[in-house]
Amino acid sequence: VSDSALESFERIVVPLLDDAYTLARHLMRDEHDAQDVVQEAYLRAWRHYGSFHGGDARPWLLAIVRNCGYTWRRGTRVQRESVSYVDDQHGIGDESHRATDAAAIASSDRAELRDALDQLAPEHREAIVLRELEGLSYKEIAAVTGTPIGTVMSRLSRARQRLQEALGLGARAKEGGR
Amino acid sequence: MNCAQTRELLNAYIDGELPPDEAMAVSEHLTTCAECSRIYEELLTTVRTLREGLTKYRAPDLLRARVRSALREEERPVVSSATPRVRRGVRMPWRALAAAAILVVASSGITFVATRERPSAEASASEEVLTSHIRSLMPAHLTDVASNDQHNVKPWFNGRLDFSPAVPRLEDQGFPLLGGRVDYVRERPVAVVVYGRRQHIINAFSWPAEGSDEPVQPQEARHGYNMLHWRSGGVEHWVTSDLNAAELRQFVGLLQSVR
Repeated sequence: VSDSALESFERIVVPLLDDAYTLARHLMRDEHDAQDVVQEAYLRAWRHYGSFHGGDARPWLLAIVRNCGYTWRRGTRVQRESVSYVDDQHGIGDESHRATDAAAIASSDRAELRDALDQLAPEHREAIVLRELEGLSYKEIAAVTGTPIGTVMSRLSRARQRLQEALGLGARAKEGGR
Repeated sequence: MNCAQTRELLNAYIDGELPPDEAMAVSEHLTTCAECSRIYEELLTTVRTLREGLTKYRAPDLLRARVRSALREEERPVVSSATPRVRRGVRMPWRALAAAAILVVASSGITFVATRERPSAEASASEEVLTSHIRSLMPAHLTDVASNDQHNVKPWFNGRLDFSPAVPRLEDQGFPLLGGRVDYVRERPVAVVVYGRRQHIINAFSWPAEGSDEPVQPQEARHGYNMLHWRSGGVEHWVTSDLNAAELRQFVGLLQSVR
């Protein structure tokens, strides 16, 4: 492996660490699992860097993170049904560990949002994270998740509807029906 | 376009994923149908709430260090565990790492100032302190003596340094002692007392220094790290961490109050 390949990897892929961690963190719902997954994903990404042919590295990397996440879950058979976190006191409110700047949103609202997201099925959760946090297009989400665009659309639509109801954001949710 | 068709497409409409003609048709329907318009507004509110309120995480320092270290090991199967060889012909030089860190920081919207001019003594000290901090995050480089007991850590420095650093116990205030190490800064051995704060690592450097007392001075945040400097009683102090500025300031306050 030449120096230039590693330099290019450092320039293009290493700066995406926050994006990778954000996806892993929401997928795994556990900070330690997320860190293991990201480290594994970066090693895999580096080993397969030859298969990356330019373009936007983010969908490419996020696909690897996602696959590592699912493999990791299957491998360890860790099923975390609970949404109670040992790190509840800092994950959300810790300024240094989140880059979103909507300071107006109280941390209790953030916690409520995260809890609602955590309750979603994994395929709905990843659709939301890839779209709202990573800002991927439908086409990119389809590539990352290996699903047709139509499936991406319906998952996103259903996921948003569930979140809207869970958070009481829509009139329909307030009326208790849909 | 009727109501059912419109509602089917609302998500794609909000996401800007519709071809122009369909987007136009949805838009026209929304101006004429109050019910669809209300549903659209609700969905828009939901999407905005999610985009603003969901947590975008910043990768913790330890993960950053682990990834770098894993890449390096991948690159060079035999890695000396005794000393980090950062200045030699390593394929992932620290200069490049720093550049990567800058990119990461820039992409996460945190401001920093890269100093290009010839560094002053203080700037050079802060540079070396930061390098030491980052290096300490590599596996097995954080502490030479790992202990949460000040009565283990403090004596350990005896004989290794020509002065005795303060090793206060701050666990009750949420800063558990992790250990200590001797490092090399400004061409002399210095004491580094290591504390934790949740998943953050705090390195507290000290060494004897000439010069009058200086109050606590927050340094420019660099590469995502906060840094504070002060001098008192002939001892130079530097504290650095990826912990947020407010809590790091609180830590320094505690450190000073127990002296």
